[in-house]
Amino acid sequence: MLDDLLARFGKRDRLALARLLTLVARGEHLDAIRLALAAADSAASRPAPPVVALTGNAGVGKSTLVGKLAEYLRGQGQSVAVLACDPQSPLTGGALLGDRVRMPSRPDDLGLYIRSLAAVSGNQAVAEHVELMIRLLAGFGFDVILLETVGAGQGDTAVRELADVVVLLVQPETGDELQWEKAGLLEVADVVVVHKADLAGAERMESQVRELLTLPGCREITVLRVSSTKQQGLAELWAAILACPRHDARVGDARALLRRAQQVLAERFADRVQRVGPVVDRWKRHELDEAQAADELLQLLIR
Amino acid sequence: MVKCVENQIPLRIVLAKVGLDGHDRGVKVVSRALRDAGFHVIYPGLWQSPEAVVRTVADEDADWLGISLLSGTHMTLVPRIVEMLRAAGLDHVGVLVGGIIPETDVPKLLELGVARVFGPGTPMAEIIDFLRAHGSRTHA
Repeated sequence: MLDDLLARFGKRDRLALARLLTLVARGEHLDAIRLALAAADSAASRPAPPVVALTGNAGVGKSTLVGKLAEYLRGQGQSVAVLACDPQSPLTGGALLGDRVRMPSRPDDLGLYIRSLAAVSGNQAVAEHVELMIRLLAGFGFDVILLETVGAGQGDTAVRELADVVVLLVQPETGDELQWEKAGLLEVADVVVVHKADLAGAERMESQVRELLTLPGCREITVLRVSSTKQQGLAELWAAILACPRHDARVGDARALLRRAQQVLAERFADRVQRVGPVVDRWKRHELDEAQAADELLQLLIR
Repeated sequence: MVKCVENQIPLRIVLAKVGLDGHDRGVKVVSRALRDAGFHVIYPGLWQSPEAVVRTVADEDADWLGISLLSGTHMTLVPRIVEMLRAAGLDHVGVLVGGIIPETDVPKLLELGVARVFGPGTPMAEIIDFLRAHGSRTHA
């Protein structure tokens, strides 16, 4: 069944993509899918598409802005895939995934793909295995991948590892400057958007964020005002995203290389499972710590 | 509260309001009940076209589609959606209809391939039990 799915995926069958995303979301066949993607990647040698994460508090307008950004990019002729995370109940495992409500409905447009994902609480505001879903969407050929986190606020910083560019949304009249000192998010953001810029207080919010960013030790971060309601600032936002040093082609290449290398290593280890097994067992019995285990694994590879 | 769905893969169900029908209280009540029963509910909002519903079901890889109709347009819209699902290769997706459906129309909808029609006053447990009993035809 999986082989059939992967073959259909290779022929750009959208239903196969949808099913593979489901399998990944459930944590099934992860290694097989990784290996298949790695093989396809090295055959195609396409540059990895930019992965842009949008994060911020609940109600700040993430879904809306993702939708507007997707429409803007479609207008520029770029195909877009959206992974939209909403929270899953830790008690029942249930989830109400409503991000599509605020996203463009373009049933005839095959250049837009939207997938709603349930994020387990405590999992850093994104669904599990999102990294592999991103690779699936990239492998399918989407030009841009937008990742919307659940409405999390402070400290959810896992997106940094998943995305090339992290956009933090804030809105007017939310908290004082101290709120920003608390947030771990400002440290991972590449671009800060003062969203709902058509509302009163947006300029003050912008100046507050700017002032905070001038404190010693802060990185240079672009701050801009965007209004989804009035369709203002979208082009500027996309330009700012592309201008981020994170999206430097060399950084992208290095990440792509590391990802590939990881695949190669996984394949080699799979071949040597007989010899890797004992190392894993000793690590599980706490006879080795991670560093020692890593050294042993390296030795195995070199030999 | 008891963790009732441990080790169980949540079913994905798209709940849709189609056409100009703006009465969304029912679908919201059902959405919440299914969420609390451990389902993953995808709700794309009001005024969906049949095309948009089918696109959502396809891209979300849903196991079930629940269509809520209170506008009397069910004999126009449901056959179109069922037909479009077939054309899109989505025969495996189970279709439920809820809302104001005259009794005489129920057999017609079932004949089209609708799995079940739930009318006003249906206890939530009935819907939940039905879905649990039938599970997923997608991932059987």
